[in-house]
Amino acid sequence: MNPSNTVLVIGSGIAGMEASLMLSKAGKKVYLVERLPLIGGNVIKTGESFPNMECSTCLVAPIQQEILQDGNIEVLTVSNITKIDGEAGDFEISIRKRARYVNISACLGCGMCYPVCPVTQPNNWEQNLVEKKAIYVECAGSLPNVPVIDPALCLRLNGSEECNLCMEACMFGAIDFSEKEEILEINAGAIIVAVGFDTIDAREIDNLGYGKYPGVFTAYELERLLASNGPTEGKLRMRDGETKPGKVAIIHCAGREKVGYCSNVCCSYSARHAHFMKEKLPEVEIFDIYSDLCLPDKHYQKLNNNIRKATSKYIYQSDPAKMRIEESDGKLTIHYLNEQEAAVSLEVDMLILTVAIKPAASIEELADLLAIEIDKYGFIKTPATEIGSVRTSRAGIYVSGCAEGPKDIPSSVLQAEAAVAQVMRLLEI
Amino acid sequence: MSDKIGIYVCECGPNISSKVDIDRILEELAALEDFKDKELVVKRHKLLCSVAGKAYLEEEIKANELTHLVCAACSPRDHDSTFKEVCKKAGLNPYMYKLVNIREQCAWVISDKEKATDKAIQYIHAGMDRVLYQEPLLEKQLDSNPDVLVIGGGIAGIESALTLAGKNRLVFLVEKSAELGGKSVHFQKLLPRQGINADTINRKIKEVNKNPYIKVFTTTELNKIIGFLGNFEIVLKNNKDNSETELLAGAVVLATGYQNANPQDFKGYKYSKEDDVYTALEIEKMYKETSQISLKSGKAPQQVALVHCVGRKEVGYCSKICCNYLIKISDYLKGISSEIEIIDLYQDMCLPEKEDQEYYEKIAAKGIQSQRITAVKVAGNQLTYTGINGSETTIEPDMIILAPALVPAADNAYFAELLNIELHETGFFQEAHIKINPVSTNTDGVFVVGANRGACGISDAIIQAQAAAGKVLTQLIPGQKIIPEVMVSEILEAYCTGCKNCLDVCVFGAIYFDEERGISVVNEAICRGCGNCVGSCPSGSIRTRHFTNPQIYQEVKEALRKC
Repeated sequence: MNPSNTVLVIGSGIAGMEASLMLSKAGKKVYLVERLPLIGGNVIKTGESFPNMECSTCLVAPIQQEILQDGNIEVLTVSNITKIDGEAGDFEISIRKRARYVNISACLGCGMCYPVCPVTQPNNWEQNLVEKKAIYVECAGSLPNVPVIDPALCLRLNGSEECNLCMEACMFGAIDFSEKEEILEINAGAIIVAVGFDTIDAREIDNLGYGKYPGVFTAYELERLLASNGPTEGKLRMRDGETKPGKVAIIHCAGREKVGYCSNVCCSYSARHAHFMKEKLPEVEIFDIYSDLCLPDKHYQKLNNNIRKATSKYIYQSDPAKMRIEESDGKLTIHYLNEQEAAVSLEVDMLILTVAIKPAASIEELADLLAIEIDKYGFIKTPATEIGSVRTSRAGIYVSGCAEGPKDIPSSVLQAEAAVAQVMRLLEI
Repeated sequence: MSDKIGIYVCECGPNISSKVDIDRILEELAALEDFKDKELVVKRHKLLCSVAGKAYLEEEIKANELTHLVCAACSPRDHDSTFKEVCKKAGLNPYMYKLVNIREQCAWVISDKEKATDKAIQYIHAGMDRVLYQEPLLEKQLDSNPDVLVIGGGIAGIESALTLAGKNRLVFLVEKSAELGGKSVHFQKLLPRQGINADTINRKIKEVNKNPYIKVFTTTELNKIIGFLGNFEIVLKNNKDNSETELLAGAVVLATGYQNANPQDFKGYKYSKEDDVYTALEIEKMYKETSQISLKSGKAPQQVALVHCVGRKEVGYCSKICCNYLIKISDYLKGISSEIEIIDLYQDMCLPEKEDQEYYEKIAAKGIQSQRITAVKVAGNQLTYTGINGSETTIEPDMIILAPALVPAADNAYFAELLNIELHETGFFQEAHIKINPVSTNTDGVFVVGANRGACGISDAIIQAQAAAGKVLTQLIPGQKIIPEVMVSEILEAYCTGCKNCLDVCVFGAIYFDEERGISVVNEAICRGCGNCVGSCPSGSIRTRHFTNPQIYQEVKEALRKC
């Protein structure tokens, strides 16, 4: 293995995928490490993307396929970095590849194994709106389209029963309970960190009722409700899966004060959410309650204008901290201060919180391992003395996408492409 | 060599085999009346995409000396490239093979096994008809030039040049004015996230000047350019002495910047040169040059009104950077004297980067009266604003600072035409794809970076400049050939009437008109095989390889026979 020809990319979201494909086309060997069983990151959770309302799957699935079929890219799912030594130009890296218990090259993704599994668990990828089995794929269309077995819950693997059901259901002999975790040792000349983002726990926002009232959803839950491969197959429903909401309010900047920054994408995706809620349920009445609109792109204002015209009523609230939610008989009452700073209220069935973006949960441990600095918000730090940089505090390690801070898809792609430029120059012979 | 067609039906485990009757497929295909005089090999396999399946297929192609191959299996999205690779390994031209999808289009969507089988037979039959009309296509290899032309010597162009230039790659950096640096050299300070001092830009200019692989052309413009990714022929014109320079480059990075709108072009902004009304850039220049922000009288201002979003409604977009730089100007003012009263008239506070809010809060704490408004009128030094509660207030501050919209530079249209790239409705350049391909354009090898593709700040412009460099560094590798698309259009000279319809519909600028011969000609290195020209040609003289009329007709005819 020639380290000057090998690059490690951590995280397989839109930034990690873009970087991997570019590097592979330039003849680099790429190790693309992903901690989840599927690649694609957060972008595949969205049904459509703004501002053109394009189907996200149609946008991203070809990229995912290209990644999986690319001979220069070794995709390591259910994997994480455990050790790193060396320096820019020649890092020695240990990667822990956990057992999937399903043979990727034998499995066809026919889906016969999981219906028979007797164990259920919440599907956190689906924002816990549905359950999954101990053997599962996160959603229809997961790529690679190969299930994974959760060893803690699988009756056979955790030693509680000699359960064989998935193995019997599989016609390709793909289930392999004997699979063991492996440690891969690789050398790579450069590393790109593209581990994406998480959102804050909406229950931490005391005044907005999430977790207390079932009618309060996060925008990321709504995303899955609107997605055709989501738990309701794209139907807009309350938590019982049946009731249609009559009035919906989108609350902007939920948790912004807590994190101390604007999450950059919420105003834009909310316009898209309003559009699709209206398209799916034409009788629904939508309100957007906001304080400042952030639409920093030539494409976004027009989308917002169109939504304001016909789809959603935009309401200004003068002090987000004063907002309170009450529930009675399943109806939610929003108390807020209007532009005159007078206390008013609005009754709705469903409340959507555009919860703030925060650094990915894994970022602190990873930064520690890579010996790179994080900033006071917890995102990967770029040098204070450099403008518009994708460098981290350690030479040869670069950052792109939301690992560096909240940003939209094009900005993530741009950083990935910029990181590739740095890698190409670093590894020049 | 006579035709010998191999037809291989994949069972895909139970996915296909349990839903269609493969034995019947094999039987009926082998007995097809219209293939009576052709040699057929019709077989099944349990999983063609598996390692064993691919080896089997390769062996079959070789042993049977197949001239054509039809695989009846899954979606081309899953395994088209898999079987193409097998063809290549077995020595069969990959364009002599066809994948028929009997899984997603038959097995998985029709519950009646008989009907699913009928449809599968029909589709495979159609594929067999098509494959007979397919022709072998050969990939070409073209030499490519790794050097890069960067147009625009502002911060984005400088960054692109610095990221690209090296011992294997020259950069030609072209700037129409006499100096490098663009607008950002006029700024006294940069935002905190943009580095700690404004020398950053001067330092970068110095780096450019001492880099032996960057050739700088000032007071120079792009005059002519023809070619394609890897091979552009360029003529530059020096505006001082009118001399011309001819160059060759493999890619072009456009970093041509933006302009500030003139507030007086928008409704409600009436003032003259004598009034103490300034644009933010004028203030930046004044502060940089004199270290003071003063009135026309030479005195320091007592009360300053900052107006956000000037012209936002008219241009139809947010200019992204104004809220931030007005905060920076507030900081300048408070630095000059903490006594200066600042009234900040904003509509939406747009603070999209992670450090922006903290910066805003820090400066606001120095004492700024923030006023959320819905409209503003400026008449000389008199300013009337409408608050969000609808009430109008008139003030007469001694200084008004306006943040006008960032608008496209006047020469965007010129470059769009010259380089055959598209403009967005706002007049900024249009990306190849707004989400997933933001610095590429619809012309391969031409990239757009910085504020010419939409309002953006310095950090964004730099990231974009590096992004375009990343594209170039991975697409044009010194010494490596480029392989253009083979499924491209060709024009049959004998039939072309020279009507030039095709020139109008080609979005990639791949067709040119040969005046001497009076016909259109496709540049195969640029063509992407979209087929627009085929549809526009009244004499039927254009065909797209691998999607010719007979190929499509034969396939469709058979697929629809029983409909």
